[in-house]
Amino acid sequence: MPQNADNVLDHFNLFRQPEYKEMFENKKKNFENPIADAELERVREWTKTEEYREKNFAREALTVNPAKACQPLGAVFAAVGFESTIPFVHGSQGCVAYYRSHFSRHFKEPTSCVSSSMTEDAAVFGGLNNMIDGLANTYNMYKPKMIAVSTTCMAEVIGDDLNAFIKTSKEKGSVPQEFDVPFAHTPAFVGSHITGYDNVMKGVIEHFWDGKAGTAPKLERVPNEKINFLGGFDGYTVGNLREVKRIFNSMGVEYTILGDNSDVWDTPTDGEFRMYDGGTTLEEAANAIHAKATISMQQYCTEKTLPVIAAHGQETVALNHPIGVKGTDEFLMAISRISGKPVSAELTKERGRLVDAMADSAAHIHGKKFAIYGDPDLCLGLTSFLLELGAEPTTILSTNGGKAWQEKTEKLLASSPFGKNCHVYAGKDLWHMRSLLFTDPVDFLIGNTYGKYLERDTGTPLIRIGFPIFDRHHYHRYPVWGYQGGMNVLVWILDKIFDEIDRNTNVVAKSDYSFDIIR
Amino acid sequence: MAALRQIAFYGKGGIGKSTTSQNTLAALAEMGQKILIVGCDPKADSTRLILHQKAQDTILSLAAEAGSVEDLELEDVMKVGFNDIRCVESGGPEPGVGCAGRGVITSINFLEENGAYEGVDYVSYDVLGDVVCGGFAMPIRENKAQEIYIVMSGEMMAMYAANNISKGILKYANSGGVRLGGLVCNERQTDKEYELAESLAGKLGTKLIYFVPRDNIVQHAELRRMTCIEFAPESKQAEHYRNLATKIHANVGNGTIPTPITMDELEDLLMEHGIMKAVDESEIGKKASELGLTAVA
Amino acid sequence: MSVAVAETVAEIKARNKELVQEVLKTYPEKTAKRRAKHLGLYEEGKPDCGVKSNIKSIPGVMTIRGCAYAGSKGVVWGPIKDMIHISHGPVGCGQYSWASRRNYYIGTTGVDTFGTMQFTSDFQEKDIVFGGDKKLAKIIDEIEVLFPLNKGISVQSECPIGLIGDDIEAVSKAKTKEYAGKTIVPVRCEGFRGVSQSLGHHIANDAIRDWVFDKMEGKPARFESTPYDVAIIGDYNIGGDAWSSRILLEEMGLRVVAQWSGDGTIAELEATPRAKLNVLHCYRSMNYISRHMEEKYGTPWVEYNFFGPSKIAESLRKIASHFDETIKENAEKVIAKYQALCDAVIAKYRPRLEGKTVMLYVGGLRPRHVIGAYEDLGMEIVGTGYEFGHNDDYQRTTHYVKDGTLIYDDVTGYEFEKFVEKVQPDLVGSGIKEKYVFQKMGVPFRQMHSWDYSGPYHGYDGFAIFARDMDMAINSPVWKMTKAPWAA
Repeated sequence: MPQNADNVLDHFNLFRQPEYKEMFENKKKNFENPIADAELERVREWTKTEEYREKNFAREALTVNPAKACQPLGAVFAAVGFESTIPFVHGSQGCVAYYRSHFSRHFKEPTSCVSSSMTEDAAVFGGLNNMIDGLANTYNMYKPKMIAVSTTCMAEVIGDDLNAFIKTSKEKGSVPQEFDVPFAHTPAFVGSHITGYDNVMKGVIEHFWDGKAGTAPKLERVPNEKINFLGGFDGYTVGNLREVKRIFNSMGVEYTILGDNSDVWDTPTDGEFRMYDGGTTLEEAANAIHAKATISMQQYCTEKTLPVIAAHGQETVALNHPIGVKGTDEFLMAISRISGKPVSAELTKERGRLVDAMADSAAHIHGKKFAIYGDPDLCLGLTSFLLELGAEPTTILSTNGGKAWQEKTEKLLASSPFGKNCHVYAGKDLWHMRSLLFTDPVDFLIGNTYGKYLERDTGTPLIRIGFPIFDRHHYHRYPVWGYQGGMNVLVWILDKIFDEIDRNTNVVAKSDYSFDIIR
Repeated sequence: MAALRQIAFYGKGGIGKSTTSQNTLAALAEMGQKILIVGCDPKADSTRLILHQKAQDTILSLAAEAGSVEDLELEDVMKVGFNDIRCVESGGPEPGVGCAGRGVITSINFLEENGAYEGVDYVSYDVLGDVVCGGFAMPIRENKAQEIYIVMSGEMMAMYAANNISKGILKYANSGGVRLGGLVCNERQTDKEYELAESLAGKLGTKLIYFVPRDNIVQHAELRRMTCIEFAPESKQAEHYRNLATKIHANVGNGTIPTPITMDELEDLLMEHGIMKAVDESEIGKKASELGLTAVA
Repeated sequence: MSVAVAETVAEIKARNKELVQEVLKTYPEKTAKRRAKHLGLYEEGKPDCGVKSNIKSIPGVMTIRGCAYAGSKGVVWGPIKDMIHISHGPVGCGQYSWASRRNYYIGTTGVDTFGTMQFTSDFQEKDIVFGGDKKLAKIIDEIEVLFPLNKGISVQSECPIGLIGDDIEAVSKAKTKEYAGKTIVPVRCEGFRGVSQSLGHHIANDAIRDWVFDKMEGKPARFESTPYDVAIIGDYNIGGDAWSSRILLEEMGLRVVAQWSGDGTIAELEATPRAKLNVLHCYRSMNYISRHMEEKYGTPWVEYNFFGPSKIAESLRKIASHFDETIKENAEKVIAKYQALCDAVIAKYRPRLEGKTVMLYVGGLRPRHVIGAYEDLGMEIVGTGYEFGHNDDYQRTTHYVKDGTLIYDDVTGYEFEKFVEKVQPDLVGSGIKEKYVFQKMGVPFRQMHSWDYSGPYHGYDGFAIFARDMDMAINSPVWKMTKAPWAA
């Protein structure tokens, strides 16, 4: 009997005990109709070959292990960034259970969101009644200041009209006439989670600026000196937005963060559950029309939102998830140029510290090959930083990146001698990546939690940067933006590099001459 | 330039909706109006008479080839036909597969996002037979068509469809502002057709905007894939379509919120005009043999 | 009012009734009327728990439930390790359910097993408009090229499939023929069907019946039968649960020919009708197929409960009662063998947990099944409810709960929060969506779907882990620090 009350064995040790190992073997041999070992080994090796890679890349219909989610996830991400706002997803209820779980697994925080719980009858007759009842219940139970409506693919296939449904619901008294219910159609079969973020952000802005779906006068823009800030869909939103606020404050620039979910996904454990916390106030969202300019940190998260803002007369600036020195320089210079205020001495010093740290450590990163995957903007930001560090990005892959992203990334690579031998893959998945890691091996892989399967199969050490991160805790609390953020990313990369060196040099009397205490 | 007018033609399948709409729009174009036709029928025949051919490159077929609508340019899908009328067809799947309604939503979103409505006076949507699902109601949503013209005839099913479409319009009329512009009766030479159309219009709270008489010249034109306006501009029939166009052009702001009627009321209406004979309650559900009637071929 | 104040059963009942009335006040009238039927308390002697169940959730209330797809792909089919399960439709469903349920298995993932992979048809707009059948056919072809060792394919329908009228059955049949009789199973588990995960379980069970069993007729068995052949039904091997259960059945001389479906294979599914007895753990999700096998093959089935030593011993004897004296004696030997372990675990943890109160809210089995394990540790269940239980579950619950226990069916976020706030239990056991809500409130919490990334909890080996986990949740020093010393 392997188990022991004094030293309780967890699953990772329990099942390695002889009793269990024997049981597994017998189960396999007698009942599983297993593949013969030699055949298994043959196929396993075959999946590593060029031939397999070719077949793998010839796929036209099947997607395996994609690095993207669907629109409504991004819709929920954007909606919870507004003060006391509850996302209301019109369609099947199971979807909402999934979004909530997904975010809670990443942030280790509650995520409040409701569904209109459409079922088979609503599929036939449309979901109007679900909207009418749902808005009334949500309004009464959760006392929100705003309900942001988006859709699942079910409601989109049957063609429910949110604008008309919300108006009818208001007429039926579900919520008061003047209550804010912005909406966005977010079909899961178009784009990805970053598209959903874009659509909801656009929906909220249009709601407040353009007369609340014809129920209020359109706002007249009276330009002021403020800068609007859009973070885009970002797993580091908690740490990043706090860092961004610090940067604006350091420069003495007035700003509005549109969709500030940094508090609602970082509430204290102090005896009180805060369903809502922080967020952009509805007044700020409306007044954002008067700003001088809007900076988006992620171009591909705001492709629809920025043109709407620009059409109201603001300057818009789109960055690509800036990480590192040049990216941050560009971000700060944009703020400085728009506001007319200089980059603060404090930030200038921080820049120097980041450069200092890079100089101290560059030797360990220089020439190392990297494969990166993630959302399109994140890939660009990481690539830019790796090039600054003298690393050699070799494979860059984005499941939800398109042709334009691919060209932009190739241009960035062409700007540096370190980007020469890199290939960019738009619309590919992590099973493609698996082939690439075998045929074009790299030293390190950067990606989200799912990358651990690639690490296991190909032996490429994984540096966890991206969304979601389920199997490491609290990294979302750290910024990756600003010079401080660059410092964090540098340390995460270095930690993995040093761990790998140690792991490769710790065999007594074989390799431990290199097991140095000073590196 | 006057504000963009967005109109839509709805009607039961086979009623001559596409023929009526294309002739009317051709006449409007003659009057100097810049027209965009958006065909919302998977059959993609709403622009055939204007283009002299069935549109091959529908939005949805091209999008399917290219990967997604985001990969399309407006030029790829927009064709110019008779009198500079711009034409696009949404297209869609073969009957029995996929979701044509979703296709309509996709197409209209694409056109709006790509500025297809810039520089035109009229956008006209030509929509499949009946309002069959949410997608086919897309053209009557808020900020889409403001006036709906229902093409019908004195046949029972056409009137039934007209009433149904009115129900669809009513659903969106309060929240969205869509209005019923009127009925267009396409003569089928049924009994008392004009009177019937007039009274249905009255019941629905609208008016019979025009009664288009039947004329074989329409078929002659159609065989040559042309409108009468183009094929036989001097014909009487062309003049009728011009009259209809003039009425529609003058009808701006005159739309009403329809007052659809119940099936019973519709039957009463038909009986009133002698189209349907009143039947004794006791005969309902009885076979001809039971009633002692001889079978009618 | 908290448990500490309400001491007698009468007082507890009065408090719980008042509590239910209080939460109902928040709802609009129509909703209050509907929700009232799902909230109540157990009255001793009654045949069920006095609540309605398996009814549509109300829009906008924040139900915790999932959908039929989750019940089929996530629960029943997903763990069959040597098959490829296609999430058929847009990308999200497969993504959110990717490897998150901890159905442990042994195999070379991506080569001969596929459990922790996400296969999706990643529907695009054109697939909705023109239909997805051609794409599905091509996907199956591509799977055959890239994953040649797969033993079968299932097609897990997401919402749009049913709405656009795709004929996945026709595609599956055609491809089965093309690939020499390969098992390809179309599953109509669109998320809008039914009211919760539950219908997905049923649909998935039926799909096994129609597309796996019916195909097997007349084919020879892969092994010689013995009188002691049993199949484990309804154990998803979360954190290894089925393994720490199987070992006990084998120790008592039974031969486990199949595991449904944790660490399961298509060969095991196919072999199951040859079992002499089906032992059913998760009644809710797999009673359907058990009943079918009873009717069609005459295989009896028996429910068992492997949470905590009391229920394990009871269950081992119950299972043994279907066999000869040898097995019955062996069952006693097994119970005796583990007695020392159980005593040691209880001696260590019971003093730390005695008298602690627990509120549960889980899926369709555990809201009753784990109660015995808590009671073995001296803990008391003061409230429980099911996400997707049916009336037969609430009937079975009466054997577990005490008079006056608060019962909540398809609880809403609001209700659950208020109940916990008022009852102030020492521990809440529920899911990931609930975990952080209660921890913020300073209430210790364990996830009772995923075992909070721990487990196994089944069997004797699992009980030790269960006890350790409950202790570390409740007695973590962190809960003493939730209030700042300077705060009033």
